[in-house]
Amino acid sequence: MSNPTAERFNPDFLTELFRDPLDAAYAAAAKRRAKRGPEPAWSRLSGRAAGLLSVVAVGFLFAVAYRHVVAAEPEITRTRAGLVSEVHAKQAETDDLQRRAEELRAAVDRERAEALAGGEAAQLRNLAAAAGLGRVSGDGLVIEVRDAPADTDPLTGKPRSDNPGRVRDRDLQGLVNGLWDAGAEAIAINGQRLSTTSTIRAAGAAILVDFKPVASPYAVSAIGPGDLDRRFERSRDGQLFRALARRYNMGVVVREQRDLTLPAATDPQLRYAHPLGRTPPEGGPSTGPSTVPSASGGR
Amino acid sequence: MLMVLALIAGIVLGVVLEPTVPLALQPYLPIAVVAALDAVFGGIRARLDGIFDDKQFVISFISNVLVAAMIVYLGDKLGVGGQLSTGVVVVLGVRIFGNVAAIRRHLFRA
Repeated sequence: MSNPTAERFNPDFLTELFRDPLDAAYAAAAKRRAKRGPEPAWSRLSGRAAGLLSVVAVGFLFAVAYRHVVAAEPEITRTRAGLVSEVHAKQAETDDLQRRAEELRAAVDRERAEALAGGEAAQLRNLAAAAGLGRVSGDGLVIEVRDAPADTDPLTGKPRSDNPGRVRDRDLQGLVNGLWDAGAEAIAINGQRLSTTSTIRAAGAAILVDFKPVASPYAVSAIGPGDLDRRFERSRDGQLFRALARRYNMGVVVREQRDLTLPAATDPQLRYAHPLGRTPPEGGPSTGPSTVPSASGGR
Repeated sequence: MLMVLALIAGIVLGVVLEPTVPLALQPYLPIAVVAALDAVFGGIRARLDGIFDDKQFVISFISNVLVAAMIVYLGDKLGVGGQLSTGVVVVLGVRIFGNVAAIRRHLFRA
């Protein structure tokens, strides 16, 4: 390979590389051949065989690499698709259960309405609606809040993670409290009704309403008196949201809507109530979500 | 002609045998492919220049693959990681481009 006269270390390696990319070895070998005359036949033949073998190796390498890439790709997507479909299945399952709970609740309500005298039933219905335990409908407003478009990172071209205009759990809490303050009677976020004990919390980048994730854009629907929107606009939280929208480019749209229907909230855990005539469960009021069956029978 | 047949034979072998790449060798695979591509294009150009030499081809192929693998290995061990492989890809890529340009000049006189 070495040819001391032809090979010298060129300081400008890159320029050389661009100008003449061919291995100098080929030229050197050709020169050598010209000087010494043709090689013996056995040497040529073995060289030929080695060349062919390495070409076979190259082809083999290409095929292996291609198969490797093709095999790796579906592996990743398959795992992801599996997880996604599992999440969807579970969500559909919860939705089904929710629907069934609502049907059962409606049946219970009907039975109760038949059993009770008219006045008491109406009063109970009103109380349940106020507590978020019954489906309600009426006029109100829908406030749509969405994250500000994220700046893109100039380095990676991906959206930056520290978007100051992202809607946070605290913003939604303030919005909901402002609406209660303005006289709203029932509020739902993305179709998820809020009861008196509902939580709006952050888990990483996601916002959970009663432990169920909601995503931007957030539609906060509220049923209330006719001047709800004016009252909300005048309230401190309403003004705060205007300021947020101005300062951080957060999307806030307030629109009135007639005939809103908000579903019932998820069943609250009864912590202190227990059926009449029975002793309360051992260990005082149950605190976890795993309530004893009798604890929820006294409603 | 024989070379093309050999290349096809190699690809067929790879497809038919369905070899699995051991985990330890997987990081070297892409770099080895680029090195092999460089050797192949260098060989084609030499053939068109009329100075092709089987021995040179074998040596350039093996040394390309070995050096590329060594650089990846060193990069891994020294904590430089992918950056060294990027260097390999850039240099070999430039060579491939140059060789393809020479091949093009030979084939199309342009």
